[in-house]
Amino acid sequence: MAGGGGFDAPETGSGLHKQKKYKKGKKVGVRIDMTPMVDVIMLLLTFFILTTTLNTPQIMQINLPKGDESDKVKVDMGDVLYIRVSETGNIYFSKGLSDGSEAPPEKHNFNDIKTKIESYYAQNPKLLILLKFDRKMKYNTMVDILDEINKAAIEKRYSFMKMEDPDKEIVKNAGG
Amino acid sequence: MKKARSIKKPGVNIDMTPLVDVIMLLLTFFMLVATFKVESTEAIEVKLPESAVTDTTRLPEKDIMTMTLTKSGDVFLDVDNYRVKEIVFGNANGIGLFHPDSTSKSEYELTGKIGGKNLNRKVSILNKAQFEKALTDLRVALKNETGGKSDFRIVIKGDTDTDYGIVEDLMDIFKATRNTRFALVTDIRSDKPE
Repeated sequence: MAGGGGFDAPETGSGLHKQKKYKKGKKVGVRIDMTPMVDVIMLLLTFFILTTTLNTPQIMQINLPKGDESDKVKVDMGDVLYIRVSETGNIYFSKGLSDGSEAPPEKHNFNDIKTKIESYYAQNPKLLILLKFDRKMKYNTMVDILDEINKAAIEKRYSFMKMEDPDKEIVKNAGG
Repeated sequence: MKKARSIKKPGVNIDMTPLVDVIMLLLTFFMLVATFKVESTEAIEVKLPESAVTDTTRLPEKDIMTMTLTKSGDVFLDVDNYRVKEIVFGNANGIGLFHPDSTSKSEYELTGKIGGKNLNRKVSILNKAQFEKALTDLRVALKNETGGKSDFRIVIKGDTDTDYGIVEDLMDIFKATRNTRFALVTDIRSDKPE
């Protein structure tokens, strides 16, 4: 370009001047408005954040007794509350009595058991709940009942026990 | 005056590119996490029971030993560590199957499917003794892998319609194998009945 400097000089000069003006004008126009895109992405983002947090499950911790069968803990029957649940999901409470026997079973509605457990705790803070669930009962019922106990009890003390034939008899006599 | 103003106006524009970059990153992250979760639970579908307890903790992030209980009473034993699975099940994508109830047959063994769905994993069918051994073996394998630093946490993912008997059998096995701490996975109850 250096060779033809003299000839080209005026044209280049005016061209440069024109280009400068042109460029300055266009620069502004090239900008893309990103606002709608950001809006859409924000929407997607909130959607995914919400769906992922809703899916996170929680856990309910359960501790089984550590000891062997030999070192059994002796409990006063007066502190014991049996909760028996039949195959169909009927809930029976029976309070253990200090003389080693137990009170006749009372049938309770699921909605009432929280207040019931609370009143038992108020009477006896050392209360130990023994849960005897029928094997054919649904897992859902178990979680529901544990949930109610957890809600009602300040100091959760409950154990799982096997539902033996005498228990089944008690439940059957009380209405199944 | 008029000319000067019209030139200044374009300068007010804020450059949104960095903002878009960050949001895009977050978006991809959440999309990946969301799809990952769907995939991992797709294989064995269970409807989790709901609980409203306030003191429940969130599921731990890793070192989880999951026992999925299906409606039909099958127990699927799975861990989230591929190397441990390779050692115990002989396959990095393996899964253990145990059917505690002797009175009924395992749905998987009968039909080869779970809830009408194929399970594209290598299933090792375990009896009670093998299941107990697998529990211990998995924990030992993880301890060896990590130099004793981590241990599995047992979580039970039961379907709402599973019989309680299955849970009772599992609790007996936990007691016998000295796994005295476990947790039940639940969904957060949406409407709290007071």
